[in-house]
Amino acid sequence: MRELERQGFEVTYLDVQEDGLLDFDVLTAAIRPDTILISVMFVNNEIGVIQDIAGIGAMCREKGIFFHVDAAQATGKVEIDLKTLPVDLMSLASHKTYGPKGIGALYVRRKPRVRLEAQMHGGGHERGMRSGTLPTHQCVGMGEAFRLARLEMSQDNAKARALHDRLINGLKDVEQVFLNGHATQRVAQNLNMSFNFVEGESLIMGIKGLAVSSGSACTSASLEPSYVLRALGRSDELAHSSLRMTIGRWTTEEEIDYAIATIRQNVAKLRDLSPLWEMFQDGVDIASIQWTAH
Amino acid sequence: MAYSEKVVEHYENPRNVGSFDKGDESVGTGMVGAPACGDVMKLQIKVNPVTGIIEDARFKTYGCGSAIASSSLVTEWVKGKTLDEAAALKNSQIAEELALPPVKIHCSILAEDAIKAAVDDYKKKHTH
Repeated sequence: MRELERQGFEVTYLDVQEDGLLDFDVLTAAIRPDTILISVMFVNNEIGVIQDIAGIGAMCREKGIFFHVDAAQATGKVEIDLKTLPVDLMSLASHKTYGPKGIGALYVRRKPRVRLEAQMHGGGHERGMRSGTLPTHQCVGMGEAFRLARLEMSQDNAKARALHDRLINGLKDVEQVFLNGHATQRVAQNLNMSFNFVEGESLIMGIKGLAVSSGSACTSASLEPSYVLRALGRSDELAHSSLRMTIGRWTTEEEIDYAIATIRQNVAKLRDLSPLWEMFQDGVDIASIQWTAH
Repeated sequence: MAYSEKVVEHYENPRNVGSFDKGDESVGTGMVGAPACGDVMKLQIKVNPVTGIIEDARFKTYGCGSAIASSSLVTEWVKGKTLDEAAALKNSQIAEELALPPVKIHCSILAEDAIKAAVDDYKKKHTH
């Protein structure tokens, strides 16, 4: 999108609702007579919410607008049937679905035909779209990973759902804990929670046995709170206090129970250290304080 | 983020965690930072009114491991110092002691600000 803007196209970026889902009416209202493309993420990488791709796609068809979907986080987690799903372009990534890193794919619909401009130039491979020799081993790896994902998806999802519910049930009675993103319209493999008055990076430092992130991997080195959580309207404290937990194909019940115990223990420890928690306990409204930003 | 051993040690075993009564005449309180920035430090000193020496210190910090370690370290350092000696502590000393990486230097600056704020608060209480 930024590249298109650089070329002179105008891009409208839409905020999502508090539950992380796109407001259909806001999207419809933002469409202009000269809108040529709508791009939506199928599943959000930080909070796991699933957008209504079929609904948005149908609207795009009606208006003759091309529809691009970033499905990097969706493959192997939600049903994707491009015979029926009204999507013109779909980005796919191998490594998010247990395939090798370094390869992805762009699905391009033939009818209605989407005309693309190549990003890579040279020998004209792949109908001129991607010049250069294909890495066969990666292509095969991605194909095989996607084949397995399709075979095992319902079983994977059922298992992940049970673990997701176990994790949420083990944490939901912690005081001042908030689920980020819609409660049910989400993939089971992601759980994003904010533990109010505990800073996310310090929590991650405490829960050493767990590989989790605060914010997305793309920005966790930048010290900025998650822009996704800010887009949901979360306060700065809550955005700084988030933990993104993911459940994989090989996660076990024992690991979930360990996660629950270690997170609870560290949240309690860090709250004992937290001046914000102390103020909250004393009934002080943190939003009413004049902070000196630094 | 790779943390130095000293940061980890302070994070695992923070010194002088807690709070003094803010209203106590012998206590100076400094609260610096902001939730929006991801760091809030509260540092308190207890001063002997006769000698003017800091006899005890407490902290509470909302922030990353380096912020917690910086404030924990400062509570150790200020004990036994006069108010002026404590206020003269430099963030570079804290950053050096904890081997903070460049991206975490602001944690040591915050700890320096916190001790200065606590000293100021105590002095304000005793100027009238």
